[in-house]
Parts: sequence; C-alpha cells; structure tokens
Amino acid sequence: MSGAPMERLEVFEHLAELRTDEIVIMTMTATLQWPLVSDHPLDFDFLAFGMGHASDFGLGLALARPERKTIVLKGDGGLLMSLGSLVTLGRHGPENLVVLLLENRSYEMTGGQPLPPGPDFVALARAAGVEGGGLTGCGTVDRIETLEDFADALPQILSEPGPHFVVLPVQTRHPLPPVNHSDHAGRIVALRRALGTD
Amino acid sequence: MTTPETLPSGVSAALAVATLKRLGMTHTLIIPDSESRLLFDTLNADPDVMVISPTREGESISIAAGLWAGGAQPWVIIQNTGLMEAGDALRGCGVGPRVPLRLIVGWRGYAGARAGRLPIDSAYTYTEPLLAAWDLPTWHLMNDGDIDVLAAMDQAAATTSHPAAVITGYRFRP
Repeated sequence: MSGAPMERLEVFEHLAELRTDEIVIMTMTATLQWPLVSDHPLDFDFLAFGMGHASDFGLGLALARPERKTIVLKGDGGLLMSLGSLVTLGRHGPENLVVLLLENRSYEMTGGQPLPPGPDFVALARAAGVEGGGLTGCGTVDRIETLEDFADALPQILSEPGPHFVVLPVQTRHPLPPVNHSDHAGRIVALRRALGTD
Repeated sequence: MTTPETLPSGVSAALAVATLKRLGMTHTLIIPDSESRLLFDTLNADPDVMVISPTREGESISIAAGLWAGGAQPWVIIQNTGLMEAGDALRGCGVGPRVPLRLIVGWRGYAGARAGRLPIDSAYTYTEPLLAAWDLPTWHLMNDGDIDVLAAMDQAAATTSHPAAVITGYRFRP
C-alpha cells in the first residue's frame, strides 16, 4: 500500500455524489457514516441481519432486480466471516453487483481489534474466480488506494457490467455517531416498498 | 402440523421439482447433501429453474433473503447440519425481519434412527427442537403422498411472513 488509507467518509461522499438509483446496502460501521452523506429510500442498513453476509444479501437482491445496480459497503472483518462468499460471487454474481470492501484491517465496530494479519483480499477474490467470473464472465477485481483514483474509476464501476469487487483501504478520523437503528423488520419492509415489491 | 409417515420410500425428485415450479419458485438455493442429491441433479437439469449453489448455508439463507427483498420467490434446500451452521443468518435474515423463507430441510440421521441403528446421529436429535426454538412451523415430507405439505408450508410462510420448513427424512428418488 502506498500512502495513508483513504478517509472513509470522503469515499462515501464521492459515491453519494455519483449515486442515482442504485441500491446501497451497508453494514457495521458503514451504517454509522453512510447516512451522513445519503438519505435515499434505496439505502439499506444490513446491521444485525447476519454477520458477514451483507454481500450475499446483495447478490440475491441484484439477481432479483437486474434493472439497477446494487452496491454493497462491507468491511474486511465481515468478509473473513464468510470467505466462501467470494467463490459464490465468482460463480453466481450478476453483472449489476458492486462490492466495495472497506479494508481497515480491524474489527472497528467492536473497538478496533486487529484482523488476523496477512490476508490479501484482492488475491483471495482473484483466486476465488471473481475476475473474469460472475454470471456473464465480466467480473473485475481491483484495489484503489487514493481518492483521486476512486473518483476516476467510479463512473466506470457504476456503468460497466461486473460483478465488481473493489478493495478500498480506509481509515476514519471522524468520531462515529452512536448506533441508532430502526427495527429489523421495518427496514426490509421499507426497502421492498421503495422497490415496489410490497 | 406433521403428517403421518407410511413407507420409507422417499419422495420423487421430479414430483418435488414440478410442485415447486407450480408454487412459483423462482430460484433454488441448494448445496448438495446425502438426502437431496437427486433433487439437486433434477433441479440442475431443469432449464426453467435458476439454481444457486453457495459454499455454505448461511450464504443460502442470506441470498434468499435478498432475492425475496427484490420480489423473487426463492426456496432454500438445506441439510439439518447446514441449518445449524446457518443459525445467525436464519435469525438475522429470516426470523427477525420476518422474511418468509421457504426451507426444505434434509433430516440427516432420521432414517437410521427410525431403523434403530446406533449410535443416534445428534443432527437427528436436535433438528426438530431447533426449528421449534426458532418458532418455525414444520411439516414432514417422507413420501409422494405427503407432497401437498409443500403447498401448505408455502402458504403458511406467505400468510405469516415468517420462515417455515418442510423436513425430509429419506433420500429423494428418481
């Protein structure tokens, strides 16, 4: 890695600026910061829905709603809880799915305990068949280390067929808002209403 | 909500797939296991069925919840051992948010226990208590005569907006 990790809130600001009608699924500490930059009916807070499974939920949602992109904001600790999901992404991932892996090398939600050292998430995703994989063989795997590069790459990520798996080394110097989530069932009902399925 | 068992013949995989299609299933989440392997083959051979085979059952449950959120009608076919592994996903993506997941649970250990074989598989022992603990209504699908339990379970999941399960005790047959 070259230089300091990106500031996560600034990554979110870039994404929110370009986001139009995409579904955004977020989990863990991303659920505390994404609402600072976005208040959209297709924002979905996955916290407490199943440890490590945000991108699996996103895969299902993207399959069911091919007319729009589904973007998943998840952490590297969550990915370690369901590493096999990379293989599933490589085999069954639809072209409208974007997984942005927020790599902070820690379990931030529980106080910043370090992750097991060493996993190379780009290499893992490639080895799992994500690159050149997915349902249409268009899967991509990338690592983006600067805000400038992220801003440059984002239009392509949001417009070209994937699935896209992008590792974003991030940090946060901003104090996080407290956890204050709406009820579990209400969140999914609201999403279905926003999608017109309820 | 159980049906009486007659013969340990298992269920026709072709009949089961035809029934699931009639019920409007759009996607199947399945990881092959000893009970469902013929069902797995039959589903994969059917061009009208979209089969997704994740690597672990927690993925199956979570993908199914996403499919349902997007308006699809997925069914999850899972062995009891996988159900145990998928506990947090079932809690978080099914029971808690009241997602009407339709589960077909392979009951590993059932046939052996019914035949009096020892030792009893602990996967057999804990299956029904576990489903009951999650408040999942369950039906038994042991032979072709029980096939209507799939519709009953489907209807219950839809009307209660809650996961429900059919348990299969024997291997599917051609």
